[in-house]
Amino acid sequence: MKYVIETTEVSKIYDGVVPVKAVDEVSLQIENNEFTAIVGPSGSGKTTLLNMIGGLDRPTSGSIKVNGFELANMSENELIDFRLKHIGFVFQSYNLIPVLTAKENTEFIILMQKIDKKLRDERVEKLLKEVGLGDKMNSRPTQLSGGQQQRVAVARALASKPDFVLADEPTANLDSKSTENLLDIMARLNQEEGVTFVFSTHDQRVIDRARRVVTLVDGKISSDERR
Amino acid sequence: MLTKIAWRNIWRNKIRSLVVIIALALGLWAGAFSSAFYEGMMKQRINDVIESEMSHFQFHEPNFREELQAKYFISGAESIEADMASAPHVIGSTGRVVATAMMGSANKNGAAKLIGVDPEKEKVVTKLNEKLIEGDYFESVSRNPILISQKMAESFHVKLKSKLVLTVQDLNGEIVASSFRVVGIYKSGNGMLDEVNAYVRRSDLPSIMSLDAQDYHEIAVLLDNHDLAEPMAAEYQEKYPNLEVKSWLDLATGMRYMVEAGSTFAYVIVGIILIALLFSIINTMLMAVMERTREIGMLMAVGFNKRKVFMMIMLETVFLSMIGGPLGLLVAFLFIQATGTNGIDLGAMGETYNELGFSAIVYPELALESYINITVMVFAMAILAAIYPARKALKLNPSEAIRKI
Repeated sequence: MKYVIETTEVSKIYDGVVPVKAVDEVSLQIENNEFTAIVGPSGSGKTTLLNMIGGLDRPTSGSIKVNGFELANMSENELIDFRLKHIGFVFQSYNLIPVLTAKENTEFIILMQKIDKKLRDERVEKLLKEVGLGDKMNSRPTQLSGGQQQRVAVARALASKPDFVLADEPTANLDSKSTENLLDIMARLNQEEGVTFVFSTHDQRVIDRARRVVTLVDGKISSDERR
Repeated sequence: MLTKIAWRNIWRNKIRSLVVIIALALGLWAGAFSSAFYEGMMKQRINDVIESEMSHFQFHEPNFREELQAKYFISGAESIEADMASAPHVIGSTGRVVATAMMGSANKNGAAKLIGVDPEKEKVVTKLNEKLIEGDYFESVSRNPILISQKMAESFHVKLKSKLVLTVQDLNGEIVASSFRVVGIYKSGNGMLDEVNAYVRRSDLPSIMSLDAQDYHEIAVLLDNHDLAEPMAAEYQEKYPNLEVKSWLDLATGMRYMVEAGSTFAYVIVGIILIALLFSIINTMLMAVMERTREIGMLMAVGFNKRKVFMMIMLETVFLSMIGGPLGLLVAFLFIQATGTNGIDLGAMGETYNELGFSAIVYPELALESYINITVMVFAMAILAAIYPARKALKLNPSEAIRKI
């Protein structure tokens, strides 16, 4: 079976006076259309695993395949290009470009893919409407609330039609209402448009909404629960 | 989009960007203006050398300039004068008798350079008549009139109508003396020349120095184009191989070096200013990169490749520089235009410059080519300034950068 994400005995050791094994031989398969939460206490290796799946960090050993492509074999530039075309990112601190409007923040990803302006405009407007920001397209990040900024980040992550979206603690900086709102949007995109989401989180509200929960403890998978 | 991001980024911290822009503008204004001041001064000096002192080129007997003896006169001066009268681009030419003399007044004796001129031709070639500040141009006295400088008049304690005794060597090496009457006092604007040059009528000297009427020691030629001085001097050197034909660049001490070093000096000044500004821009851009670590990390995470990140930092630096640079040049241009028309009076300092042969009033000017070259230098400096911050940005690890607060 072809998985969207497939890790095989992936380990990551951080060198130092005392080497730290952040991820310890993790083997994980994620299929298309999953809504998976990777959970665990702080220091359990969630973010490290997510970074390696997203091609932002390289494993010390093991294999990571995304849609059959082995990330370990890619050069730095190939990885950047791969991330642009295949992976959407949502970060804990939104990380929007402050000098661009919501529309421009969403658009610049597809601009790099050299898509026709008309198609680009249509897609950006559709995405921003889907995340409930149809009326905030020309607002800059400083004019948006935290929840709204994170929704722009979701629209940006989806703009290039990636194979999956990696979200690192996406609700960590949001209040309850914004969290629920964001989760509703992501769940709808998952169910109606088949977008695959993988979260790292220790937010119980996210865990409750996930359809699969992978728990990491000390860098190892301690449980993998499908609902 | 890259351009848009870069342009908006420079206005994120308006004060910081404005400080850099103003620093650049002030630096370039200072650099361009000091270059213009120097160029103006040099150009005036060149014009003075040509129009008042050396003309474009001169003929001499080969030993004359070194030994300054009466016997080294130009043979065949008539044919040279005839040549010059019909040559293209020649505004005027004049033959002179030149001798080192001992000049004595009732109060003082001192050295002088006695120059016997054809008053009418000298008017055309050096405009000697226009430099008179007192008296007249060889007109009020019929026998042995002499023009001396204001400086000489003060030094020898003489005034108009005073008598001066000049002692020179004649053609045979004999010491001969003759008295002259001061009819005019001039001020040339070149302190060094005013120290020694005394002008008499050429026609008064043959009888004193046992010369023939056509025995000239130098023939000076004024052209309508500075650029023709060297080629024409070379051309006539070939035609008159027994004489020495030199252009003003070789006749006036240090002029060739001054002309060749002129534009280099301007670029050295601007270069030094730009190097200082380079570090200020590197510092500013480095701060901008450090402040935006997380943002740049995010850009790299979502697909901005290294070339794009590099270009973004490069564009920001170029934008900053290309606002400040041309702004400084514009202010410099306006300033140069204003002072170039009215001149800058160096006041007390002017006297010192005057002693060195420079005018006390400077008219700054900067060639269009210099403006263009300075703009290119600013652009190159901007690219250079962007390299280190951009490389710093490229070294960021996206996964670490994103987590940085």
